[in-house]
Amino acid sequence: MLLDLEMLRIRFGAFSPVDQVTLSVDRGQILGIVGESGSGKSLTATAIMGLLPRIGGQVAAGTIRFDGTDLVGLPEREMRRLRGGRIALITQNPMTSLDSMMRIGPQIDQAARLHLGLSRSAARARSLELMADLRIPDPASVYDLFPHQLSGGMKQRIVIAMALAGDPELLIADEPTTALDVTVQAQIVQILVDLARQRGLGLILITHDMGVVAQACDRVAVMYCGRVVELAEVDALFEHPRHPYTQALIRCIPRHDMARGTMSAIPGIVPSAAAQPPGCRFNPRCARVADRCRVEIPELRVGASGNGVACHVAEAA
Amino acid sequence: MIGFTLRRLVLLLPVFFVVSLVVFFIIHLVPGDPIDNLLRAGSSPEQRLQIAAKYGLDRSLVEQYFTWMGRLLSGDLGTSIIQGRPVSALIARNLPFSLELGIAALLFSTLTGITAGVIAASYQGTRVDDVITGFILLGSTVPSFWLGLLLILVFAVWLGWVPVSGARGWSSLILPTIAAGLGGIALVARVTRIAMIETSRQDFVTLLHAKGLPPFIIQLRHVLRHAMVPVVTILSLRIGWVLGGAVTIEYVFARPGLGSLLIRALNQRDYPLVQGCLLMLAMAVIIGALIGDIVQAAMDPRQREVRA
Ligand SMILES: Nc1ncnc2c1ncn2[C@@H]1O[C@H](COP(=O)(O)OP(=O)(O)OP(=O)(O)O)[C@@H](O)[C@H]1O
Ligand code: SF4
Ligand SMILES: [Mg+2]
Repeated sequence: MLLDLEMLRIRFGAFSPVDQVTLSVDRGQILGIVGESGSGKSLTATAIMGLLPRIGGQVAAGTIRFDGTDLVGLPEREMRRLRGGRIALITQNPMTSLDSMMRIGPQIDQAARLHLGLSRSAARARSLELMADLRIPDPASVYDLFPHQLSGGMKQRIVIAMALAGDPELLIADEPTTALDVTVQAQIVQILVDLARQRGLGLILITHDMGVVAQACDRVAVMYCGRVVELAEVDALFEHPRHPYTQALIRCIPRHDMARGTMSAIPGIVPSAAAQPPGCRFNPRCARVADRCRVEIPELRVGASGNGVACHVAEAA
Repeated sequence: MIGFTLRRLVLLLPVFFVVSLVVFFIIHLVPGDPIDNLLRAGSSPEQRLQIAAKYGLDRSLVEQYFTWMGRLLSGDLGTSIIQGRPVSALIARNLPFSLELGIAALLFSTLTGITAGVIAASYQGTRVDDVITGFILLGSTVPSFWLGLLLILVFAVWLGWVPVSGARGWSSLILPTIAAGLGGIALVARVTRIAMIETSRQDFVTLLHAKGLPPFIIQLRHVLRHAMVPVVTILSLRIGWVLGGAVTIEYVFARPGLGSLLIRALNQRDYPLVQGCLLMLAMAVIIGALIGDIVQAAMDPRQREVRA
């Protein structure tokens, strides 16, 4: 496995917004992480990047194994060598992801100069090549532009080029299309899928969009209130969702054959991080809730297949 | 960029007109007039009228304004009533001292302030930050004249390292620069620190960290550049202050300068001299703001490209 998270817990002071996160991704594989807003997807990505201390958090328990090495407790100096090098990040909003006061090209060059030790001109040549690969028209002139002179879709390609510049093995894309026009979204997803397939990158694709998951991912981790509640292959997940939350999510996907107005939404609201219910965090909204669910937190049990579910009722079935 | 600058210069014309109105009339709001300062005790009302006529003070204020404005446009600031010398000569004699102290204080407070702000922001929430923030608070509350007196006591009287007062040689500039610059250090450091911290929260900085760049490179090459935008704004507002704001410092250190010249002229109701000094200071403020705008536009690629 390229990346293996086991029972990761993230802590901010006395408060643990993320707990029991187990997931893994291999080279050439695409793992989707889905879940409602606030379910802990970005914090998980931040933990893998080793950037939690920057926002005042830390890993409280569990392991983050990257190519055999546990990143938890790795000295910052070594973590910095991986960051932007073997592990790269793409964030949600391309409008704010680039330094508005610096020209595009040098921003792409940075990682190659830092991690691959390229000279200024070699880094430039590499950046132009990456831009061409990502089908950015006229790379040589885009290289000298400022971010505000590009459209959102082009900026997101630049952010992807920036992530690829350090020649990563693992790419984490945190909602890379949420801020973009619908037509551009599909292009960006396709670019990322091609990267995983052609370059053999391990890709973690964080999204709210079950459609994107179905279209692009091999495996899926479903998160709810800071926990992974189901882990499965994408086909199995859509055909036989085991966790009641996953089942509800899939019922919410609009389909062409549905009559207008029949789209279902999951009843209830996501509990705030400070007011989690006892027992299973999904119990106030769950259709299959049992007495046990209100007192005992279901553990995520991962089988030999790498699949698993955290639910008292689904487990028994 | 050149078009932008020209447009800003043209906009200065109406500003100049309003400023000239204010500068001319404001002194007339203060009771008293310069004639009292010229007359000896027991002079007759006739003598008084004679002097008033000599300086055109017997005519209506509006008339006086147009006479003053007419001369001004041909570059003549008039003659000091009390000292009997051209206002421009008096300003020219005092301006270099103000410029010298002003520039030294501005440079000193800018460099020290930015450095302190960057260090505080980089060590946000640690003891280093607490110490610098404490100094900032102290620096913005300690009155500069009091600090000036303290500095004189320690470094001139006790240690004898520098002259007690006067404006001869660079060593006499050290203490006034520190005293006048202190408030500026506090201001610049505070604005730099807050702007750095705000900028650090932006997404692009997260991505810079995600690239594995060393934090000090991120702070100096990226965050600082963004943080300089608000710092330039407050610096440009201080350029005008620097010429006239050091009055108390000039007093404490017995230095000549525009500030002392203005205060003396005000006490004597020396209308032409007051107007000349105020006009100089107002122009310094306006030009400072203009420089600030131009520098800011030059820093921001969005403005630079659009207005090119
Ligand atoms: N810096 C922080 N300090 C303390 N708590 C935080 C911090 N960032 C996030 N959290 C908590 O962690 C929870 C999960 O946040 P996270 O950003 O990972 O959600 P997400 O799944 O990425 O949501 P979204 O889809 O909106 O991006 C939030 O509800 C919040 O309570
Ligand atoms: S554990 Fe109980 S409440 Fe939670 S999802 Fe399963 S059935 Fe629903
Ligand atoms: Mg998020």
